[in-house]
Amino acid sequence: MIRRRLTHLRFLLHPNSRQELDEELQFHIEQSIQQKTAQGISPEEARRKALIEFGGVERTREQSHQQRPGWWIETLAQDIRYALRGFRRNPVFTLTAIATLALGIGATTAVFSVVDPILFRALPYGHPDRLVSIGLFHSLEKQEFTLGGFYYYWKENQTAFSSLTEEGGETECDLTEHNPARLNCAYVEANFLPTFEISPFLGRNFLPEEDRPNGPQVALISYALWHTHYNRDPGILNRLIEIDGHKVRVVGVLPRDFEMPRLQPTDVVMPRAVDIAAQHVVNRGIGWPMWAFARLKPRVTIEQARESMNPLYRDVLKIIPPEFRQDFHLRIRSLRDRQVDDIRLVAWILFGSVLAVLLISCANVASLLLTRVAARQRELAVRSALGASRGRLIRQALTEALLLSVSGAAAGCVLAAILLKIFVAIAPAGIPFLDKAALDPRILLFTIVLSLLCGAIFGLFPALQRPRPGALAARSTSSGSHAALRRALVVGQIAGSMVLLSGAALLLRSFHNLQSQNLGMHTHGVLTVQASLTIQRYASNQKKMEFYQQVEGALRRIPGVSAIGVSDSLPLAGLHDGRRYADLLVDGRPPTPPNTGGTVASRSVTPDYFRALGIPIVQGQNFTEEQRDLPNESFMILSRLLADRLFPHQNPLGQRLRLGWNDDDAWFTVVGVAADVRNTDLKEDNQPEFYKLRHNSEGDWNHTILTVETALPPETIVPWIRTQISRLDPSIPVDVEPLRVKVSRLADRPRFESALLGFFAFTGLLMAVIGLYGVTAFMVAQRTQEVGVRMALGASRSSILRLILWDGVRLIALGTTLGLAAALALSRLLRTMLFSIGPHDPVTFAAVTALLALVALIATLLPASSATKVDPVVALRYE
Amino acid sequence: MPPSTDLLQGTLDLLILKTLALESMHGWGIAQRIQQVSRDALQIGQGSLYPALHRLEYRGWIQSDWGASENNRRAKFYSLTPAGTQQLQTELETWDRLSSAIGLIVRQTPETAS
Repeated sequence: MIRRRLTHLRFLLHPNSRQELDEELQFHIEQSIQQKTAQGISPEEARRKALIEFGGVERTREQSHQQRPGWWIETLAQDIRYALRGFRRNPVFTLTAIATLALGIGATTAVFSVVDPILFRALPYGHPDRLVSIGLFHSLEKQEFTLGGFYYYWKENQTAFSSLTEEGGETECDLTEHNPARLNCAYVEANFLPTFEISPFLGRNFLPEEDRPNGPQVALISYALWHTHYNRDPGILNRLIEIDGHKVRVVGVLPRDFEMPRLQPTDVVMPRAVDIAAQHVVNRGIGWPMWAFARLKPRVTIEQARESMNPLYRDVLKIIPPEFRQDFHLRIRSLRDRQVDDIRLVAWILFGSVLAVLLISCANVASLLLTRVAARQRELAVRSALGASRGRLIRQALTEALLLSVSGAAAGCVLAAILLKIFVAIAPAGIPFLDKAALDPRILLFTIVLSLLCGAIFGLFPALQRPRPGALAARSTSSGSHAALRRALVVGQIAGSMVLLSGAALLLRSFHNLQSQNLGMHTHGVLTVQASLTIQRYASNQKKMEFYQQVEGALRRIPGVSAIGVSDSLPLAGLHDGRRYADLLVDGRPPTPPNTGGTVASRSVTPDYFRALGIPIVQGQNFTEEQRDLPNESFMILSRLLADRLFPHQNPLGQRLRLGWNDDDAWFTVVGVAADVRNTDLKEDNQPEFYKLRHNSEGDWNHTILTVETALPPETIVPWIRTQISRLDPSIPVDVEPLRVKVSRLADRPRFESALLGFFAFTGLLMAVIGLYGVTAFMVAQRTQEVGVRMALGASRSSILRLILWDGVRLIALGTTLGLAAALALSRLLRTMLFSIGPHDPVTFAAVTALLALVALIATLLPASSATKVDPVVALRYE
Repeated sequence: MPPSTDLLQGTLDLLILKTLALESMHGWGIAQRIQQVSRDALQIGQGSLYPALHRLEYRGWIQSDWGASENNRRAKFYSLTPAGTQQLQTELETWDRLSSAIGLIVRQTPETAS
């Protein structure tokens, strides 16, 4: 076998075999002639007879040559050379085809790579398809949770799950050792890891006795913490570490890919150690909130589990106050569904739009290839007549299509890598796993194969048809079926880009509305300052208050600072306190029925809060600095919305309010009404809001954020602020950020969505226009002679223009109509993503239709106008 | 191509190998020799001789060298390689089996059949 390979190699490397073959055949024929002349035949006659006897010399030569082991490589090289020559002659066609393919492959691969880890990634648990999330669903809390009162009853009585477990959420905790760090601690039940089929990287899971109240203090630490903080020390097991001042024994290290089912960041996992009996007492008898997960028994479906759990759910429902009961529902869904929840729609829309782009690009390449083949009918006929076999012609067509696809794929890979970088850069923080998104070779392969197939099918399709004998004699006219197919492709492209464009336009306008809305406060020139006080050094609220009061004083002394506001939360930047509307009790009025009115935002602020954020007091007056030192006098400012609701036709000033039903709660006196501020997020309706005055007494200083209004640029003032605070306590990490940045983060999602869809729409439009241009230009070229005849017979230029344009306009009209219908049907999917614009917004749709029609018309007009410049004499002599 | 080609081609290979087993020879000589030995019964299609020679050469059964012909012209001489000798042996056996089998069928008379 090796010997044979060596022989092959020798022949491959042997260069002048053609020459040798010629010499050999020459010798044979000469011998034959000699033999015949020896028999007495004249030399000319002998030569003639010898040649006849031998048969086709050329054929023999070809056949002998084809015996060579590597001859197909040679023909391949020939085909490639021929194809490259053709591409060079037609650079516009080549570049368009490659660019189209690159865009299609690049965009598809990049987006699939982003969407794949969100929708289809493998969860890092054993048999993740059997894992479900189970809990209560409430209109205010859309991610299901459960309560101790429910959970332990379920756990005792359920039959659908092989295992039911819960986690109690995570809290910030401090590693208080020689090398302190702020960590996230999560608390789980002892059967948490077994339920998820996670085995620790090192050590063991929690023991049942460690999960009881007052049990031994143990912890599992994350791989990352083990790696960065303990330098992968295998002696970590059984070591005592100090968390929030308590000695905790490390019993294991979590696997590298460990993640909590709700994806919260976690460094340390500790047992819940829940006092189960107490769960029927605490929190008014409903127990503490927790998050439950379960593994389905084999062959039990989620529907069956739901059926079997529903009676158990109703058994416990009585612990919920009756007025809230109907707000709750039981929810069981797969863990994956829970994780992708609100991102799912975006992911599918991206998925759909990228598929549309891929199809448009395939249609474009197909139509380009068809156009090219139609123009080459005659060339094919000539080659066929000269003896090229059909196989050879097909191989040639295939080579060309593959060459194009391969170049397109190479360019597409590069583009995909670039696009992915851009996506990751512009993506908002809330999209899970985006940091892990990498070009997926499987996806790349899939798109490349798809484009290869598309190229091969449409490249081969015409070559498979036997060249018509007429093609050689007649002027090269395209066959009817090809023309119809090309037109259909163009109509499809226009319709596809119409859908993409209208979706993108809706999102863009929605984004614009979002950005340009009046927030009710200043975000420019406002900095937020937050310090993370360690529990160790600032154990009491008294200490916290003293620290913040010092900071307030120090910042006030910085030149260029015009106001320092202090509050416990900020609108549009994180969570805020809230009360039920029914909890607000107006002096001298019967209480509101308990289940009405929704929630009211509550903020505890200093007088300068309103100044720093530029919130106008529209009625009454602001708090004063002096009032801060009167801890027994409670004052309140209402938002316009709340004032109008509580006191519709009354003067709110001087009214007294109480929060809650206890008789010893303080009465607040309303001193003013502030203008409304956007306080939920950028999309939802405003919540009514009240402001409590923040007193200089320790109870008011649990959570503190400072707002600094300044005319100075952040680069100048941020270092000053940091210096001032580190002078007070150098060990405290301080977070200073412009409020504008915090708020604009809320618009990250819509920005990401509209940017992506806009990009696709633009790509799709571009390709549709290229396709339309190509087809029209080709049809014009085909009709040159016809135009010449018409002009010779007296047709005016404008009538020629009309003739050609009419063709294009029909395609555009059909494509736009189809696209409009599809877009109107599909845009409903976008509804939840839109802000103050309807999914069928007539202005948007009209504008998109006009834009598309205009651009498409220009794409037809350019080649059409070139048709009118045809010189009839030249056109008629063209043959 | 007609369906009998495979048989013919195989046979041509055998004829060439057999001819070259006696002495090395150029293409013209091979054609002449086969014609003479078969008493003009086998006319080698000269067009198919050379592809066959090249095929055998690429398989490594024969090898070629340039040398001087009887009338002192430069000519390509083919000779059997060790692998070719082996191949000839196999092909002869196959041929014998095949021809005797065909002979049995073709020469069958009604008496022997019953």
